[in-house]
Amino acid sequence: MRQLRSWMRDCGVGFVRAAQAAGVALLIPVVWAAAVGLWQLWGGSAWSWIAPFVWAAIGTLLLAKPVCRMTRTMVANWTGIVLPPGYRELPPITQLSTGYWWNGHSYSRSREDARREQRMKNWRYDPATWRDLRFALLAPVSFGLVALVPLLGVVAAVLALTALPTGYLSGLLVTIATAPYAWRSVIPVATRFLGASATMELADRVDTLTALRADTTIAQAAEIRRIERDLHDGAQARLVALGLALATAEKLMETNPEQAKELLRDARAGAATSLTELRELVRGISPPVLNERGLADAVRAMAMDLPLDVAVETDLPQPLDPPIESALYFGIAELLANAVKHSAASHVQVSLLQEGNQLRAEVEDDGRGGAEIHPEGGLGGLRRRLAVFDGTLEITSPEGGPTRAWMMVPCASS
Amino acid sequence: MRIVVAEDLYLLRDGLVRLLQAYGHEVVATATTGPETVAVLREHRPDVAVVDVRMPPTQTDEGLRAVLAARRETPGLPVLILSQHVEQLYARELLVGGASGVGYLLKDSVFEAEQFIDALERVAAGGTAMDPAVISKLLTSGSPDQRLGTLTDRERSVLELMAEGLSNTAIAGRLFLSESAISKYTTSLFGKLGITDDETGNRRVLAVLTYLNS
Repeated sequence: MRQLRSWMRDCGVGFVRAAQAAGVALLIPVVWAAAVGLWQLWGGSAWSWIAPFVWAAIGTLLLAKPVCRMTRTMVANWTGIVLPPGYRELPPITQLSTGYWWNGHSYSRSREDARREQRMKNWRYDPATWRDLRFALLAPVSFGLVALVPLLGVVAAVLALTALPTGYLSGLLVTIATAPYAWRSVIPVATRFLGASATMELADRVDTLTALRADTTIAQAAEIRRIERDLHDGAQARLVALGLALATAEKLMETNPEQAKELLRDARAGAATSLTELRELVRGISPPVLNERGLADAVRAMAMDLPLDVAVETDLPQPLDPPIESALYFGIAELLANAVKHSAASHVQVSLLQEGNQLRAEVEDDGRGGAEIHPEGGLGGLRRRLAVFDGTLEITSPEGGPTRAWMMVPCASS
Repeated sequence: MRIVVAEDLYLLRDGLVRLLQAYGHEVVATATTGPETVAVLREHRPDVAVVDVRMPPTQTDEGLRAVLAARRETPGLPVLILSQHVEQLYARELLVGGASGVGYLLKDSVFEAEQFIDALERVAAGGTAMDPAVISKLLTSGSPDQRLGTLTDRERSVLELMAEGLSNTAIAGRLFLSESAISKYTTSLFGKLGITDDETGNRRVLAVLTYLNS
């Protein structure tokens, strides 16, 4: 009994869905049918077809995007499969000091003109436009026809009602038999032709990589300049002073041994200070423990030095690529520093694990929470540095805590 | 003393050998790689070895691993580790087999030649020499210890020097105080930290390090 009820429900739901799918798929054929009708109405002469058909063509271009949007919504509602639309993002429109508006391609007098021009250009060059059009033309001859079958069954039944009862029955039978299945034909067609195409994914990837390259180039140049400045003002200057002191001490050795001794003492103190400075600098570039022991022990060593109770759990099967190791190390350092500075936590758990072909580095504290990723802040910078390796940074930090931040980086699977 | 020096950089090795000879010690052998260090330690059985952490062939912690292996083989083998950086992690690994005859100092410590030779002799005699940087990290890391907070500044500096491995006499010399004043401070700080004060010498250092470690 229950089976019968669920089957009937399937039938009803399927019928409604098939009707929707057929309606969406047949929007454009309807426009063309109307054009043909109009042409016939005007006498079907040699020249009167032009106007209705131009209108139908424009209608097709305008309807392609809505048809795709509706299909995407239907598929998402019915199956939960989300098909990313993949339209290219429009660059912002900015006013220049000359008063003109720049849309990324050309100048315009007003903001509206700039926006319109940008839309037109983007519409022509966005691969998503051509995909939409292709799909809109493909829809009626693929799932449109299939989804039409249950509806045609009903139509046949109604038409046959007056003529012969066997036709009536077979019409209903067709509807009942096909209703639960016909609408499903939309799924393979949509997933195959409506998703982002390889070209679109590549275009996206190129955009992302270009932005990343710019970011890393800038960051790297800034880093190198910082190191140069530190060396120039620190160790280099101290070594010059050291040489000077030694030269002077040598000169004074015979005439004024007391002063020479004092100079030597100063020189020794200078050497000690420059060593300390160099050690700090080296730690910032590449922590020695990381070179000597790898990520797990380097994180353990770092955790030991913090004024917090930090537990470290690691399960990394193989040695990692040095750049990834370094990025994860400094990422964990940043997250731990945040925990020390802002969270008022008393206990922190760090875990380093391999999940499939991803590395997961997680830092969780029992502090007060409320942490966010600001694009301009330290965590935003960390996210950008990880993106270079196709890595990600996620954070959950409700008010009142706890804060959990995790980085995922792909690694070559063993 | 008969000393082995393991250090891969020629300038530093040469400087160390000269310094040790200037203080009247004999350098019986030198080593430049991790495996060589293990072999030399086994062959010469020196009174004390001075070993660098980073060495060929891998340019990682070869020296430290050589020392840990040698001390597993010969417990209490006196070794002084010299490094460009000090880590609590390494200090704890060194102390696992006991604090007897263990030294762990920054390379900078050779600048204070007298103190460096003192530390080396202490280690050779089965004592301990921990770098002040390790001790200050031990004191500031982990959850804040309420009992450490109750120490006076004087008691705190006595504690730090004690953890470095110095005897009461040496601490008195460093702080320009009398030995009886130092023993007064040690009694009061042991009382505050809850460590029994019947430990002397090396065992006292271990008690202090264990306290700071926990």
